[in-house]
Amino acid sequence: MKYFAKKIITLIMTLFVVSVAAFVAFQIIPGDVVTSILGTEATPEREVQLRAQLGLDRPPIERYVNWITDVLKGDLGVSYRYSKNMNEMMPVAELIGDKLPVTLWLAAVSLGIIIVVSIPLGVLWARSRSRVADALFSVCTQVTMAVPSFFLGILVTYLFGIILKLFAPGGYVSYKEDFAGFLGYLLFPAISIALPKVAMTARFLRNSMLTEMKSDYVRTAYSKGCTDRRVMYAHVLRNALMPVVTFLGMIIAEIVAGSIVVEQVFGLPGVGRLLISSISTRDFPVVEILILYITFVVIFVYFLVDILYRVIDPRISNR
Amino acid sequence: MIRIEDLTVAFGETEAVKHVNLELKPGEILGVVGESGSGKSVTALTLMGLISEEARITTGRILFDDVVLAEAGRPKDKALYRKYQGDRMSMIFQEPMTSLNPTWKVGRQVEETLRLHRDLSKEERRRQVLDAFTAVGLRDVEKVYGSYPHELSGGMRQRVMIAMAVILHPGLIVADEPTTALDVTIQNQIIELLRKINSEQKNTMLFITHDLNLARRICQRIAVMKDGRVVETGPTEEIFETPREAYTRRLIQAVPSRIKKTRKTENAVSPDKADNILEVRDLNVYYREGGNSLFAGKRKHCVVENATFDIKVGEILGLVGESGCGKTSLSKAILRMNKNIQGSIVCREPYPQMIFQDPYSSLNPVKTVGWLLKEPLRALGRLDPSREMTEADMEAAAYDMLRKVGMEESYFHRRPSQLSGGQRQRISIGQALITRPRLVIADEPVSALDVTMQAQIMELMLELQEELKLSYLFISHDINVIYRMSDRIMVMQRGRIVEIGDTEGVFRNPGQEYTKLLLKES
Amino acid sequence: MKKHFVKKWNRYFIIGFIMTAVAILIAVAGVFWTPYSTTAMSASEKFAAPSLAHPFGTDNFGRDILSRVMKGVGTTVLISSLVVLISGGIGILAGALTGYFGGILDEVIMRFTDAVNGFPSILLALVVISILGTGRQNVIISLAIVFVPSFVRIVRSEFIRLRDADYISRARLMGVGRVRILFVHILPNIFSTFWVSVMIGFNNAILAESGMSYLGIGVQPPDATLGKMLSDAQGYLMTAPWYALAPGLAIVWIVLGFSLLSEGIRRMQA
Repeated sequence: MKYFAKKIITLIMTLFVVSVAAFVAFQIIPGDVVTSILGTEATPEREVQLRAQLGLDRPPIERYVNWITDVLKGDLGVSYRYSKNMNEMMPVAELIGDKLPVTLWLAAVSLGIIIVVSIPLGVLWARSRSRVADALFSVCTQVTMAVPSFFLGILVTYLFGIILKLFAPGGYVSYKEDFAGFLGYLLFPAISIALPKVAMTARFLRNSMLTEMKSDYVRTAYSKGCTDRRVMYAHVLRNALMPVVTFLGMIIAEIVAGSIVVEQVFGLPGVGRLLISSISTRDFPVVEILILYITFVVIFVYFLVDILYRVIDPRISNR
Repeated sequence: MIRIEDLTVAFGETEAVKHVNLELKPGEILGVVGESGSGKSVTALTLMGLISEEARITTGRILFDDVVLAEAGRPKDKALYRKYQGDRMSMIFQEPMTSLNPTWKVGRQVEETLRLHRDLSKEERRRQVLDAFTAVGLRDVEKVYGSYPHELSGGMRQRVMIAMAVILHPGLIVADEPTTALDVTIQNQIIELLRKINSEQKNTMLFITHDLNLARRICQRIAVMKDGRVVETGPTEEIFETPREAYTRRLIQAVPSRIKKTRKTENAVSPDKADNILEVRDLNVYYREGGNSLFAGKRKHCVVENATFDIKVGEILGLVGESGCGKTSLSKAILRMNKNIQGSIVCREPYPQMIFQDPYSSLNPVKTVGWLLKEPLRALGRLDPSREMTEADMEAAAYDMLRKVGMEESYFHRRPSQLSGGQRQRISIGQALITRPRLVIADEPVSALDVTMQAQIMELMLELQEELKLSYLFISHDINVIYRMSDRIMVMQRGRIVEIGDTEGVFRNPGQEYTKLLLKES
Repeated sequence: MKKHFVKKWNRYFIIGFIMTAVAILIAVAGVFWTPYSTTAMSASEKFAAPSLAHPFGTDNFGRDILSRVMKGVGTTVLISSLVVLISGGIGILAGALTGYFGGILDEVIMRFTDAVNGFPSILLALVVISILGTGRQNVIISLAIVFVPSFVRIVRSEFIRLRDADYISRARLMGVGRVRILFVHILPNIFSTFWVSVMIGFNNAILAESGMSYLGIGVQPPDATLGKMLSDAQGYLMTAPWYALAPGLAIVWIVLGFSLLSEGIRRMQA
């Protein structure tokens, strides 16, 4: 229990540090945004008015406290670039709202593919006795790992979209209208994200199993009269999967990053595209919230992986 | 009856076991004794059908009650072996920690043997496992049944391993160094247990060890192995009384069985009248729990309590005790490597040096022998300008030291990876002594070495001690090694010094129960 | 067994070495000479399919793709090398100090690298870029910032592993100075590990750089970059699929060659 308390404190501390960093990075360093919103020809009165409206005339610490309490209350601020109409500015929450599920689902589907495909593949590879099969696996993983996800996305679009016509490039159905169709549209982008990671994970599992096969307890199992199959599945696999859990946790961040890029390739309306466009238009309130959000997701997943690890490894959980 | 006939086992081109013949009579304990690399473990693993797949049997065969288990030129019959493994033959390994599956409860691991060979109900299997646990002397068996290996002590784990091996009353038990990883007191209990099982279950036992004394205590017959061959076989007493082979004689002599060191006292300083080189008074040594992290507890853990002793100039003080008794913590405190101490340490040698246990980790692997020998002189020159030397002088001193530790000059440009364990330990000693410190702490300097090498290194350390008029604090868990080396001995138990005195006196007339126990073990 | 081992190592190493050497040769050659000017447009040669005159075809402005890929490889390799050089250098210094001495400084730096490490690397680069603005120099700075923590981590863990090694304890007993222990006694022992991580870092830098220019927030035109070419090409997948192929394969070539090379070196050390 003490451990979890410790972990949660660390989690909160990290979030705090990231929020301060984000605040400093996007609200202090860039300087005054008012001129960039209004342009150089605005009247001084209008500038003062907007500055007060945005709270920019306050000292930094007060601005941070106000901002973070607003964020915690659910008020995520307003975009500098988008506006609802002439007089009303666009709230960030509204801007992000229906884009977030797209990205999260994309990451989740990718992770699902990685787990479902790489574990049997890794076991198969570890079991393969023939040198030809081993070499084949080896070459395939090396090549797959070298393909960047956006190039893979383009290849997938060309092959499955343009030649085989399995999906319409650039097409999309909202998850609100047709969830199954929505997942269908996520499939190919998810494959583009997952493929290199599948290769990495399978290779990692295979190495982990080969290492475990050399341990003393495997010899003990054989000395009791266990069959090869029994040694492999009952004894080795569980021990070999433990480092794989950590490994999967580590690549979560890369999956999220991958989905940001791949959204761009497939034209999916997720937060990744919003983030990229907000960065190029220097729409800092949006960037800031998105960064916080993605960080939160990644850190939270790490937290879950850590707990999972403690559940499956008796050497840690009992301490 | 188990027969190994003309067995040769090869890994690629190299033969690890060469034309070995061994016969085990029903109910006997046969010891196979040899240094590391002698092929004793390979023989045992081949017999058990556990040898790795790169190994091939190139000549001979293995018979178990007239059934041919393995034969040259025949692929390994895994199905046949599986019928024997666990049921009619079983094995006890050296490392009980790594030999048990870390993620399985130990009860289930023992139960697996039953499940593989007998058709029993779940309750019956559990009952038999608990009975086996009781039989090997485990207490609180229900709790042990549900424990993971890391929750048990080393001795308990080895008992679990033994329970696993004997639960089906196999005809053959192979024990590969079953006590090497354990403390002396536990060692003794495990030996007794094996002897008891042998007399109750009447199994044949193949007992593999590097330790002749241990073999003498438990085996009826002994086979001595060297370089993959059996050089001599015979009843235990015969081997010890009238060894036929020169190698066996060397092995027996190398065992430090209470041989008193021979001193040319004319050259040595008489310790009685000499000054103290080290004075330790009321020393407490602490360790902070949980390391240096932010979350680390502030609680200190006392590992050495109230230590008071002296070392005189030219004296060897032997420090003996089991692992975890605080020997190493004490030496680190003296060397100021741990500053968490209370009490006083007065050391009249400004730069005392240390010789470490593991010759593989105590030399920097990227440097040459010559560089390693010169580095202490360079460092000393920087600390103490009066002792600064020219490059040529350092080079000469390094060559001189290389000769002193009994190595040829051609080794000067080699790297540690090109040396054997014994050679590394020689360089390690040379590195410690090249600055001519008057006090050297030797922490288990021979424990990682084979017996013949042990004897040579001890001899070298004694020679250099007289020549350079050194004082040693000589640490070991091996009471025989201590006896051979020390003028006085100091016994430690759980962080306290329980006895200190003249070597002969303590050995003849130990004042403490614990010392008696330690002496009895060997 | 030994023979088999060496043969296997040779295969990884040789193929990787050849691929990397070809990539570097092309990059260097591209600085001095390309078959066509990378900016010369030609309306008549728009979307020419691969031919002898244009081995990789031409793009939407009729520019020769081979010439642009040569320049692009140069840009990518140069940026990635500088990134690894800068972040690796800082990593050694910071990792050595924090790993060997530990203490509060170590705690602070580790918390920081923990936070950064958990963060998707390309995202962090985007944040830095969004503050600094785009451009070649800022891409290098932002990627260097992104890669420093992983180098610090690796160097630090090696120094922690070795600072308690017997031969280092012994060096301290001899009275060897701290700086000498750090850089003469310990550093040579971590080079093999560090070298592998440098190679992995280089690959990641190439992927990150081309990813950023693909997203349009990396190196800006008129500099030719592989990522930007890919994102331009994506719009013409139907009409000119070869346009995307050349820059994409160039990235795969560099990354694959380098990872084979590092795998070969890793196996050689194992």
